Amino acid sequence: MSKPVIEVKNLEKVYKGAVPVHAVNGISLTITQGEFTALKGPSGCGKTTLLNMLGGLDQPTSGSIAIGGVDITTLSENALIDFRLRNIGFVFQAYNLIPVLSAKENVSFIMLLQDRPKEEREARAQQLLEAVGLKGKEDKRPGQLSGGQQQRVAVARALASKPQFVLADEPTANLDSQSTANLLDIMEQLNKEEGMTFVFATHDDRVLKKARRIISIEDGKVLSDD
Amino acid sequence: MIFKVAWRNIWRAKVRSFIVIGSIAVGIWAGLLIIGFSFGMNNERTASAIGTTTGHAQIHHEDFDAEPLSTAVVADSSTVVALRKTVEALPFVSGTAQRTVLGGMINSTKSARAVRIMGIWPEEERVQTTLADYMVEGDFFEAAGRNRLVIGEKLAKRLGLKLRSKVVLTFQDSEGNLSRASFRISGIYKTLNATWDEFHLYVHHQDLEKTLGAPLVHEVLVRFEETVDTEEKAGALAAAIPAGLAVKSWKQVRPELGFADDMMAIMLVLVLGIIMMALLFGIINNMLMAILERRRELGMLMAVGMNKRKLFLMILVETLMLGFVGGPIGIFLGDLSTRAMMRIGIDLSSKQDGLAELGVQSIIYPEIVPSYYLIIAVMVITTALIASILPAIKALKLNPVEAIRGH
Repeated sequence: MSKPVIEVKNLEKVYKGAVPVHAVNGISLTITQGEFTALKGPSGCGKTTLLNMLGGLDQPTSGSIAIGGVDITTLSENALIDFRLRNIGFVFQAYNLIPVLSAKENVSFIMLLQDRPKEEREARAQQLLEAVGLKGKEDKRPGQLSGGQQQRVAVARALASKPQFVLADEPTANLDSQSTANLLDIMEQLNKEEGMTFVFATHDDRVLKKARRIISIEDGKVLSDD
Repeated sequence: MIFKVAWRNIWRAKVRSFIVIGSIAVGIWAGLLIIGFSFGMNNERTASAIGTTTGHAQIHHEDFDAEPLSTAVVADSSTVVALRKTVEALPFVSGTAQRTVLGGMINSTKSARAVRIMGIWPEEERVQTTLADYMVEGDFFEAAGRNRLVIGEKLAKRLGLKLRSKVVLTFQDSEGNLSRASFRISGIYKTLNATWDEFHLYVHHQDLEKTLGAPLVHEVLVRFEETVDTEEKAGALAAAIPAGLAVKSWKQVRPELGFADDMMAIMLVLVLGIIMMALLFGIINNMLMAILERRRELGMLMAVGMNKRKLFLMILVETLMLGFVGGPIGIFLGDLSTRAMMRIGIDLSSKQDGLAELGVQSIIYPEIVPSYYLIIAVMVITTALIASILPAIKALKLNPVEAIRGH
């Protein structure tokens, strides 16, 4: 049995206001190593809030999130930043690459933040870019790449830090069909061959078709978990 | 790589960066020109005062400064000779000259004025001062003749005197009694210091001695090899001469020159401060714009694990780079301009009279002041450091989740 990577218990997120909003309302779930999981649901259902909390970008109102056995809700701000750097990979909807750096430099940059030696950074960045099918595009800047290619660089960047899992928030929302298919193939391949855990927040059917586990969320609660 | 990112980030908004870098360069260029101009003007005034009239230091009887009576002499003639030998033996002294200095009145047919009568040994005076170079009419005791008097142009005009006009001087003799003697104008001088010209007139010491009865030396003018560390040298001079005598440096003799130096230093720091303040706001504005434009990117960096220290460092480096590019350009341009001005001078002839009142020529030759290059470099770096704080704080306060979405 695969070991759990993410263990969420009784997670709640309440946005205070004149009328408090329960964005996440008592979710408990476990994601094990090697999963290819999609969180789906309509806009405003709480999937992005859940994803942000899983990534340590947002703090829950109550409940716990254990990643690799570490309850990240108890970590200090600085410790949490360092934890994200070493344990979680992020892929964003709008790619969010650094436009002044080349594809290879974008991938290396994360490893620089981890204080890895230059030789290791260079070698791993090259290897990852080749893995996402961008051999020959290493020196191109984001502006010289298509949307699909940029998102592949973002995937390589997410993997560069050797995370326990990758969180991808609507990674295909800005991509055409062909780019989406290519990206999903690459991520599926990385999942199968290297055992990398992927968690998507999406309502894109193309992603949902590839996902081996789909957690439906509605009104901040898990509606189904297949 | 943080340096590489910072450097490339500067050139993302080329026009804006060029404007900021240009502002830094122009600010420093202007600052250096002002410094060069101010030092040139002040040093010229100081050099002129030292060269024409004051010397680097003066030796008087210790009572002379409190009340310059004719009886407050430095010493008798033979002792003065020995004193001057002692002084001239000091390694930093280039020469000395002695003077009789009497307070008195000058009477013309038109008017009378209080004056200071300088009884000089013309050969010495010509060697130790440059007053002879400032003659506008007549000569500086070169032609033979008795009871000859050299007067400042401004005083001559006030008294309605011309060359060969006759005047009567009233002054104290060696006993402290009032004496009178008539003199004839043989030369009219005009130094850069109109105030000096209006109050001082020169006669041959021998002509005074006929009335005074003996050569009286009230002042020994001392010239140093160089106009640096004059206060320390004046101190060393004081230690080398007998008790009962007092040494005054040029700053004490002409305190307004020293005050002008101090004032100039304060003014320059103020001017540079104002320039840096303007640059500070320019740089802050530029960096705040950059942070605003790049909030998605910064949010992403914070999300993936860039800690606050590194984020702060990245913004700090980027801000410093603006200064590191603009600073040397400004210093280079300032240095180039100052050197060019040093050759051709800045012609302020239209303000000639006003400048003469300040003891300055109408053409100012700026000076290079290397120490201020360092001061400016430090100020630019400090300004950039301060300018980076607010944008860095803004960046650190970004919420990664909101920033990534562009909110």
